[in-house]
Amino acid sequence: MKYSTFSLLDNDQLKEPMFFGQSVNVARYDQQKYPIFEQLIEKQLSFFWRPEEVDVSQDRSDYRNLPDHEKHIFISNLKYQILLDSIQGRSPNVAFLPLVSLPELETWIETWSFSETIHSRSYTHIIRNIVNDPAVVFDDIMRNQHIIERATDISKYYDDLIQYTLLYTKLGAGTHTVNGKTHQVNLFELKRKLYLCMMSVNVLEAIRFYVSFACSFAFAERRLMEGNAKIIRLIARDEALHLVATQHIINIMQEGKDDPEMAEVARSCHAESIKMFKHAAQQEKEWAKYLFKDGSMIGLNNVILDQYIEYITNHRMRAVGLEPAFEKATHNPIPWINAWTSSDNVQVAPQEVEVSSYLVGQINSEISADDLGDFEL
Amino acid sequence: MKKAIQISTEDLVFQLDPSETLLEGLERTGHQVEYQCRSGYCGSCRVTLHSGRVEYQEQPLAYLQENEILPCCCRPLEPLEVSVGLITKAKKSA
Ligand code: FES
Ligand SMILES: [Fe+2]
Ligand SMILES: [Fe+2]
Repeated sequence: MKYSTFSLLDNDQLKEPMFFGQSVNVARYDQQKYPIFEQLIEKQLSFFWRPEEVDVSQDRSDYRNLPDHEKHIFISNLKYQILLDSIQGRSPNVAFLPLVSLPELETWIETWSFSETIHSRSYTHIIRNIVNDPAVVFDDIMRNQHIIERATDISKYYDDLIQYTLLYTKLGAGTHTVNGKTHQVNLFELKRKLYLCMMSVNVLEAIRFYVSFACSFAFAERRLMEGNAKIIRLIARDEALHLVATQHIINIMQEGKDDPEMAEVARSCHAESIKMFKHAAQQEKEWAKYLFKDGSMIGLNNVILDQYIEYITNHRMRAVGLEPAFEKATHNPIPWINAWTSSDNVQVAPQEVEVSSYLVGQINSEISADDLGDFEL
Repeated sequence: MKKAIQISTEDLVFQLDPSETLLEGLERTGHQVEYQCRSGYCGSCRVTLHSGRVEYQEQPLAYLQENEILPCCCRPLEPLEVSVGLITKAKKSA
């Protein structure tokens, strides 16, 4: 396996596996081994949006009037999202493109990463509007212990894969000593690193964003920071698609029809995959604690967010063939969030229009109204 | 004329109106179902189908195991048995 930006070997692309086959030469979509990736590309393109088109001007005065502990919640979530999208805007390209061998999957990866750069740019749009000096927010990201702690957990799987790919493509399988450090290099291990990386991206897009989403929508339920919520809805719509794409990739790997060895790789990573989900859930709970350290917000608190994290973790684990980690978390404590992440009409807040899903969400929350008993303002 | 189709869940049996999707029917009857896109691309609503057949107007983008369906966009062709429970029950066990 040697990477080339245009492999001169004439091959039948329909016979290549998703990864580790011959590097893609002709970018063609007239024939596809997995039409799903072409469909995902089309969907993602149809979702295209520009942050500048979303009016966030009202948020400025909303933000100014927030009590300090809610300012902390709002800004901290933004910082965390900035970190996540900084990683996502580049890493799928850097890590996966050298390994991919199908044109439709290659283009999906690029389309996916590109949409993350829109998310990144939208944060600057939001921040410029609410504070006079955006640098105050941006500069703190690299200095905030609570954010940086998690950055390493997310980037390490990408970095591992990228480093190991370099060793494998440069030196091939075998035992190699580079700068005094010995590396055992083989294709199976490289495949494991790819699988684990894909799983960690899945975890990132499946769980890590949702605490922030919940807070953003909790503000918007009170008609505060609605410009921000509009942007978050557009982001959530994109993220749902990204999530489905990695679920497809992971499931195709597990099935082993695409690359029989991948099924074995998946089995060997089973325990670690479960650990990854649990670890992320734990970190998100700690994040919730940090967010609410000076006080919770109306409609949300630590306990509710913890339940929510466990609930969606179960849900996401099931989607990639893992048994749910939290036996007791069988119900969604904040069903109203679904109305906000629903994409019936992303331009308009659920309350402003009779979006079918929102009305249904209302009914849902009425049913679970006794839930509200256990949180205090 | 289309007619109502019987849906059996873990906790009750109800008639799905021809004008509603399976997701809407499950919500109307108080079941614990997730959703996000309501149009077949996010996979949030997926549930396990124990018996019966469904069809899709358009092939959904979400990943599905053989025994799973998407209530937001599938069309039941015959009585279905799905593994979904009531919200009230889910809460009790929580
Ligand atoms: S709600 Fe998205 S697939 Fe059904
Ligand atoms: Fe993103
Ligand atoms: Fe994403």
